Amino acid sequence: MAAIVSVDGLRKRYGQIQAVDGVSFEVRQGEIFALLGPNGAGKTTTVEILEGLRTADDGKAIVAGVDVRKDPAGVKGRIGVQLQQSAFPENFLAHELVELFALFYDRTVDSRALLRAVGLEDKANQKSEKLSGGQRQRLSIAIALVNEPQVLFLDEPTTGLDPQARRNLWELIRDIRQRGTTVFLTTHYLDEAEVLCDRVAIMDGGKIIALDSPRALIGALIGRGFTKPVLQQQANLEDVFLDLTGHELREA
Amino acid sequence: MRQILGYTLYLLRAYRRDWVALFFGFFFPLIFMTLFGILNFGSFGHVSVGIVDNAKNQASETFRMGLAKVETMQVTAGAEADELDALRKGDRDIVIVIPAEFRIAPARPGQAVPELTMYENQGRGQQVAVGEAILNQVIDQMSFAVTQSAPILTTKREQVQGRNLKYVDFLTPGILGMTIMQLGVASVMFTFVIDRQRGVIRRIMATPLSRRNYMAAHVLERLILAILQVGVLLAVAIFGFKATVLGSMWVVLLLVVIGSALFLCLGFAMSSFVTTENQAPAVMQLVTLPQMFLSGVFFSRDAVPAFLKPVSDLLPLTFLNEALRQVATAGASLSEIGADVVGILVWSAILFVIAFRFFRLEN
Repeated sequence: MAAIVSVDGLRKRYGQIQAVDGVSFEVRQGEIFALLGPNGAGKTTTVEILEGLRTADDGKAIVAGVDVRKDPAGVKGRIGVQLQQSAFPENFLAHELVELFALFYDRTVDSRALLRAVGLEDKANQKSEKLSGGQRQRLSIAIALVNEPQVLFLDEPTTGLDPQARRNLWELIRDIRQRGTTVFLTTHYLDEAEVLCDRVAIMDGGKIIALDSPRALIGALIGRGFTKPVLQQQANLEDVFLDLTGHELREA
Repeated sequence: MRQILGYTLYLLRAYRRDWVALFFGFFFPLIFMTLFGILNFGSFGHVSVGIVDNAKNQASETFRMGLAKVETMQVTAGAEADELDALRKGDRDIVIVIPAEFRIAPARPGQAVPELTMYENQGRGQQVAVGEAILNQVIDQMSFAVTQSAPILTTKREQVQGRNLKYVDFLTPGILGMTIMQLGVASVMFTFVIDRQRGVIRRIMATPLSRRNYMAAHVLERLILAILQVGVLLAVAIFGFKATVLGSMWVVLLLVVIGSALFLCLGFAMSSFVTTENQAPAVMQLVTLPQMFLSGVFFSRDAVPAFLKPVSDLLPLTFLNEALRQVATAGASLSEIGADVVGILVWSAILFVIAFRFFRLEN
């Protein structure tokens, strides 16, 4: 499969800290790809360089056929983003935000259809700040889809969500991939990466230290002779939680 | 262009739902105008005169009637103790005591003329001075009548059709200036400092929208709001409080636009140096409060103490207020307020350069 994101020797330094230290990898068209790593590993910096929000000190990144350094606006037009620690302007209704962001891409969209796709059709006339955490993430994804992006960047999309909302978001992400959009996400939840992603890259100290499918990475670890005491369990606590409280989404 | 206009319209739609902004933008200045309009601070009012008549004869009666005929005088009569008490309470400006031996007759050599004792309220100097002048005039007229002599000088009165400048006429341009300042500074500082801190601007900058179009829409939205606010305030002043605007509305509109541009530049310049939501209100008060009191919003700048006068003369709001007031109360044309317009433009240029140099969309 062709690469839709290709990164070669990317570097970025902040003062004394080499945040990104020669990162190279490719993301294939149509896959769900995750960049994993502890806090401060350089994930967000890498993603923001790919999104055209920061410029790299060195190296090259091609996203959806566009050189990020040469044409950041061109990249922004072809990708969809959901940023960590960002918010939408206040006093806008959900459907207005979708339409407003479409305007930023010089497009017009059917905001109701987009909201329906993320399960927010009945919230179209609500102010975005009145939505619950999970609804806000879904609105944010709807907005990231207004320009029919080739790659969707999601920076820690499930942080702070309850198990129901998290699973609901996984479904949504799979749906989006099903429709042909490549998904590039960062997460701290390794179970999420394991069930959701085709391939994951693990980053630490500004470098990529492993990149493969979750199954292959686990196989390689076991192959190196890794063992841990196995507790044979037919279910875990999350299964209990979801069994008791149901899969239905809760919207406070 | 479609992007700028479209974004502006969405911003205006969101503004309608922002109750805090609506309150400070529309209701707050209206409350000011209503309060000051009702209080009618500027009017001189009456000179309240208490007369203690100890003579109670034909002559004292004539004298009292003479005073009462003067429109500005509000004459009451009473016992000395009561009248002096009222004076101390501030209910009288002057108390005149007519002596028992009061008469109106030509003065004869060697004979003392009756003496009026006047008690004056020190806190109401202006009213006391007017009261004294009127009293002296009444005494003179009575003297001429008694001595059958003609005054050595006479005045011929020419009534000039003078427009009676009400306080609300003075106040209206001041409130307009204040509103334009508040809108420019507050709407820019709060929106940009908060949106920057919350990552709103960062999210928008992740789309292909250019910074230029982003800024253009925000500036355009605020110019439209300024014109709407001024329109509402003017309508209330003119139809609600019978204020008169003598000059051309086109000149007022021009002043609203360049005044808004000035204070938007001030807002952008200030928000360049403010990084958190908590700093914003303090910095805003620091810049707007002195102008509210030193730039002639509610009271004439004549009241500004001499040592602050040079500061007051150069404040941005002073130029805008003076220009608006000249147009509204004296019907000045654009060329007559040229100096103030230049002042507004010079300030705008200085602040624009600062804003352009230091304003950042992201922290």
